[in-house]
Amino acid sequence: MKNFKAVGSRLLQLALVLWAVVTILFLMFRLMPGNPMAAYIDPTFTLEQQQQLMAQFGLDKPLWHQYLIYLGNLLQGELGQSFRYREPVGQRIWILLPNTLILTFSSLIVAYVFGILAGAYLAWRRGSWVEQAAIPLVLTTRAMPEFWLGMVMLAIFSFSLGWLPAGGTRAPGNEYSGFLDLYTSRDFLAHLALPAATLAIYSQGLPLLLMRSNMLDVMKEDFVTMARIKGLSNWTVVVRHAARNALLPVMTSFAIAVGYQLQGNVVVESVFSWPGLGRELVNAVAASDYPLAQGAFLMIALVVIFMNLAADLLYAFLDPRISHA
Amino acid sequence: MSEPLLSVRDLRVSYQVGRNFVHAVDGASFDIPRGSITGLVGESGCGKTTVARALTRVIAENAAITGGQILFDGKDLAKIPEKEMNALRWRDIAFIPQSAMNSLDPVYTVEYQLDEVLRRRGGLGRKQSRARSEELFEMVGIDVNRLNDYPHQFSGGMRQRVAIALALALDPKLIIADEPVTALDVIVQRQILDQLKELQTRLGVSVILVTHDISVVAYICDRTVVMYAGKVAESGTMQAALTAPSHPYTMGLRNAFPDLQGAASGILTPIEGAPPNLASPPAGCRFKPRCPFALDICGTEPPVIDVAPDHPVLCHRANESAALRIEAAKTETWMAPA
Ligand SMILES: Nc1ncnc2c1ncn2[C@@H]1O[C@H](COP(=O)(O)OP(=O)(O)OP(=O)(O)O)[C@@H](O)[C@H]1O
Ligand code: SF4
Ligand SMILES: [Mg+2]
Repeated sequence: MKNFKAVGSRLLQLALVLWAVVTILFLMFRLMPGNPMAAYIDPTFTLEQQQQLMAQFGLDKPLWHQYLIYLGNLLQGELGQSFRYREPVGQRIWILLPNTLILTFSSLIVAYVFGILAGAYLAWRRGSWVEQAAIPLVLTTRAMPEFWLGMVMLAIFSFSLGWLPAGGTRAPGNEYSGFLDLYTSRDFLAHLALPAATLAIYSQGLPLLLMRSNMLDVMKEDFVTMARIKGLSNWTVVVRHAARNALLPVMTSFAIAVGYQLQGNVVVESVFSWPGLGRELVNAVAASDYPLAQGAFLMIALVVIFMNLAADLLYAFLDPRISHA
Repeated sequence: MSEPLLSVRDLRVSYQVGRNFVHAVDGASFDIPRGSITGLVGESGCGKTTVARALTRVIAENAAITGGQILFDGKDLAKIPEKEMNALRWRDIAFIPQSAMNSLDPVYTVEYQLDEVLRRRGGLGRKQSRARSEELFEMVGIDVNRLNDYPHQFSGGMRQRVAIALALALDPKLIIADEPVTALDVIVQRQILDQLKELQTRLGVSVILVTHDISVVAYICDRTVVMYAGKVAESGTMQAALTAPSHPYTMGLRNAFPDLQGAASGILTPIEGAPPNLASPPAGCRFKPRCPFALDICGTEPPVIDVAPDHPVLCHRANESAALRIEAAKTETWMAPA
């Protein structure tokens, strides 16, 4: 019963945050210097198109009325017309979002699985030469700029060795009948490998160091000592007790890292010409394609907010002190 | 006295701190007879937990057993290989920690943690394990419906009962309880101690009860081992310790604690001063700086004198103990230590 209440209030909170983001976006694009109409209407549109958009977004009405229309449009998924592509923003984002999500999740999952295992291992082998060598190495990967790492990866695996393609999501000329068809093709996976690996190398340091330091803390806990006094095997002590407890904050950091990564993706998406939301957002701003920028921004905000909720729920699920309070 | 279950001989345990060594246990000897409940008592920092943990050989990373013997059931636990030691853990020697809150894993139910021991260490099957868990909960007086609860859902006293249930799980020969009731209020303390005593008598298991509170020892123990600054000051039956305490430290401790049974015990008189730093203990008798009966000779290592059968005392003046007891009963004696 308590749980439902907690989830309910969390959802309400979420709705409020969403509303705030949407409102800020509304004001941002309207209070920007210049013609507020510039947010939706490109001067190069035909007169007919301009009038249609004027009516759709109520740009001739007072601000509060525009706001209501704006909310109404959003609820229907209506985000306006991209200037550059001359197509609905929603449609454009719908094409880009999966690319970004696939890149983000595949790289983060690899980074977290590796980071958690390696972090736990290093904590277990504390003081050994393996640890002495590994920690500076991990810190180095954290310090490398993403674009530099991306270019090194390109130089090695694409240009020198020729093992993997240099950019995009598919080889020129390849056509696919649908999303699933594309995303499961070897072609796509080969294109995904380098940018995902770059992001994974860049991101594994956080979970690794977090897991390691959590493990070191948990290993000092009484219940770990008790597990040893019980004569349980080393594996049971380290994995079932120490690692299981150390994992809690790391799992939460995953959800938050997804949001963080969405913003950080911009660089890698650009280096590898990956058609994702981050790259599009930057391009759209540069080209004053406001509707598209607004849509991309909104989408990223949505994912971030949603992942924060997921982090909370995950933590509650994994930690009985919260779920069985 | 028949062959004791456990016989600790000249045990030494040190902690390495930087380049120095803290000799936390410095030549401790005592016996634990079968079926007895023995209080291991002494002020904070005198090495009780260090002794208790040395018996399980799960000691701090910077600790080492540097000498002596731990003879348990015909084996020297200080020497046997780790594998053999691990086989003994929990099956023969179980442990009840001070804070069950911290020593139960917060992410697993209590049943999981009982089951873990019963199946992984006791070799029971799933059904047997469940039945045994229920039996254990009944023994310590907790509703079996609460088996599926998590540790944080229990009260402090109940968690301590869970810890007792866990310790009893595999029918060990020896249970070491390190300050099992210290964190609880006096009423709950008594309930738990009563229960521990009842189970100990019923099951015939031996218990070492570690505490700094001599009234707890007086309340349920048959025997006592009094530690001071890493050494055993005095050991023997409870009767002897209560009616004929023969080490000045034991006499002082008796004056310093209220009676758990609630009997008015007059004014409490603390022992002035603090135990010595074990990194550089004083030469000779370690209690000398605080002892009201110290003589010049006390600057040399005191001998172990058997003031009666089964009653060794580490003191130069052990043979005068009857006279010293009369002095020790006076509050003034402890006001201005010699
Ligand atoms: N890990 C450690 N490293 C260094 N010194 C330690 C360590 N653990 C304990 N000591 C020292 O060893 C001595 C004995 O400690 P121990 O915990 O055995 O005492 P205790 O009698 O159980 O005290 P308490 O009543 O406070 O639990 C103390 O002086 C303590 O400071
Ligand atoms: S040896 Fe001396 S100083 Fe030590 S307890 Fe006995 S009388 Fe006191
Ligand atoms: Mg202690």
